[in-house]
Amino acid sequence: MNAVAAGHRRLPVGHEAGDRRPDWPWRRTSLALVASAAVVLPFTLPPYRLFQLTLVLVYTVALLGLDLVVGRSGRLSLGHGAFFGVGAYTSAVLIAQFGVPYPLTMPAAALATFGLGWAAGRPALRLRGLYLAMVTFAVAVVLPPLLKRLAGLTGGAMGLTVPAPEGLLGLDDDQWVYFLVLMVTAAAFAGMRGLAGSRPGRALTALREHPAAAETLGIRAATHMTAAFAWSAMYAGVAGALYTWTAGFVSPDSFTLALSITLLAGVVIGGLGTLAGPVLGAFAVLAVPAVAQEFDPAAPGIVSGLLLLLIVYVAPAGLAGLLRRTLWGLLRRRA
Amino acid sequence: MAGPLPEGRFPLSWFPSGPLGALLEVRGLTMRFGGLTALAGVDLDVGEGELVGLIGPNGAGKSTLLDCLTRRCSPQEGSMRLGGQELGGLPPHQVAGYGIARTFQNAALFPGLSVRENVMVGAHRHGRAGFWGAALGRTAAEERGLGEQADALLETFGLSAYADHPPTALPYGLTKRIEIARALAAGPRLLLLDEPAGGLAPGEVPAFAQLIARLHRERGLTIIVVEHHMEFVLALCRRIVCLELGHKIADGPAQAVRNDPAVISACLGVVR
Ligand SMILES: Nc1ncnc2c1ncn2[C@@H]1O[C@H](COP(=O)(O)OP(=O)(O)OP(=O)(O)O)[C@@H](O)[C@H]1O
Ligand SMILES: [Mg+2]
Repeated sequence: MNAVAAGHRRLPVGHEAGDRRPDWPWRRTSLALVASAAVVLPFTLPPYRLFQLTLVLVYTVALLGLDLVVGRSGRLSLGHGAFFGVGAYTSAVLIAQFGVPYPLTMPAAALATFGLGWAAGRPALRLRGLYLAMVTFAVAVVLPPLLKRLAGLTGGAMGLTVPAPEGLLGLDDDQWVYFLVLMVTAAAFAGMRGLAGSRPGRALTALREHPAAAETLGIRAATHMTAAFAWSAMYAGVAGALYTWTAGFVSPDSFTLALSITLLAGVVIGGLGTLAGPVLGAFAVLAVPAVAQEFDPAAPGIVSGLLLLLIVYVAPAGLAGLLRRTLWGLLRRRA
Repeated sequence: MAGPLPEGRFPLSWFPSGPLGALLEVRGLTMRFGGLTALAGVDLDVGEGELVGLIGPNGAGKSTLLDCLTRRCSPQEGSMRLGGQELGGLPPHQVAGYGIARTFQNAALFPGLSVRENVMVGAHRHGRAGFWGAALGRTAAEERGLGEQADALLETFGLSAYADHPPTALPYGLTKRIEIARALAAGPRLLLLDEPAGGLAPGEVPAFAQLIARLHRERGLTIIVVEHHMEFVLALCRRIVCLELGHKIADGPAQAVRNDPAVISACLGVVR
């Protein structure tokens, strides 16, 4: 029992212990800062910047979802671009063809992608390993031509334009959309936080890190993995609906395999299995190329590629890990 | 289904082969991996509240026996009953519901979770929260309950100071304890420990044996402990079972098994 006597020495949490738990100093302060910035920015940014910021929020929702599969469950999905597309088209078709009010199209997109995720994940997750990647790859490949084929409903290769929603409360269209998207993003973030910090989130981590031990403790792998995948697809679908509101236009070529890969890059750059990761990752995959574009037309590709390499080599825990390490470092130096 | 032993009664392990209704009945258990027979018709009865030591040389089939009981292996022949209920054919995730929990020979903690969370995963089957409840934030009460239960277990094991740490940075002896705490959180009737003292510093072994003896005494648990450390088993168990190449070669009171010539030749170098 000697070791217990030594137990009052606090071992390092966070960077030195190499853990990946979402330990973040000044949690409340950072949340308050981000929240006030999110409320003030739409009144100070020029319209095209506000559009970009709204897209960052949209991507954040999709990345929160993708991280549930890639970061927390440790599986690979190549189909989240397609789930995003299904959500976007569900919303666009309902608005443009059937005149459904904007907010009602989001639950519809959520339901459709949840069902699709369940159906795709159920058999694939039982087979384990790379089968999920293959099944989701198939989904990603099938969607764009399918959308072109169903031209009567989807507008075919020409895409579908959606009328902008009327701004309410004295806000412009784009400010109004921004706040709608912000609310959904906040709810999506809170939901993922609840998931990650309680029984289902722990079960997923346990299944990822030691499946045999997890199963012996009564965790049913197939059920948890399928539910996680369906939820993840639903997040991507909701993000898709938000995309339709933001961009006002959908076309089949926006939702190809390239989008799936971009989203994957986003969760890795942001930091797997963290809550800050998706936010930072969304900034990285959208804002970095957009800013680089303003310097040189060739810059976005080069800068994004270099960023990805840099992250993989220098900060395998992603931007979230890097930031956390820096913050803890500052904290320790002060102490 | 008998509950924990009432206090003050004789533990059944005083009657080594337990004729009084065994909790666990294993009959003719045979497990082959391709051409290799890891278990060859093993019979084993373990009474309620017994603490049995399972010894044998490397590759004797000790871990395989635990794997069969927890349904990680599907034996080709034989039956396993716990409290009269057949375990064969169950999926592994239902074994916990039947009251079996185990530790693994190699550290099997979840490095991405804190020590407390590891123990809370042990209590997974006592929780209810699903994805919807968790996402809508309706889990506060359950989380508090599971957290308090985990903290009480950590206290018992002298691990409170480490509750919020990841298990990766801790000394080996502590990780073994965390694993036992996690198994106990599942609320088992039968606890299977696979080499719990393996890798401990020699100085830590007696204290560890005391800890397991205390668990057995205070919680009335039925325990099977696989171990190479002969002193550890002798100090802990009144009954010892010895396996060699998948056959049970001895089963009886500790001293008798220890002095059995067959056991001595099988475990040469282990029995000192
Ligand atoms: N999954 C498996 N596939 C093939 N062979 C296996 C498997 N598991 C165990 N074996 C073999 O079965 C035999 C018994 O192994 P087991 O792990 O049960 O031994 P043990 O008594 O626990 O030994 P040790 O003291 O080294 O842990 C060994 O020969 C081992 O190689
Ligand atoms: Mg073994």
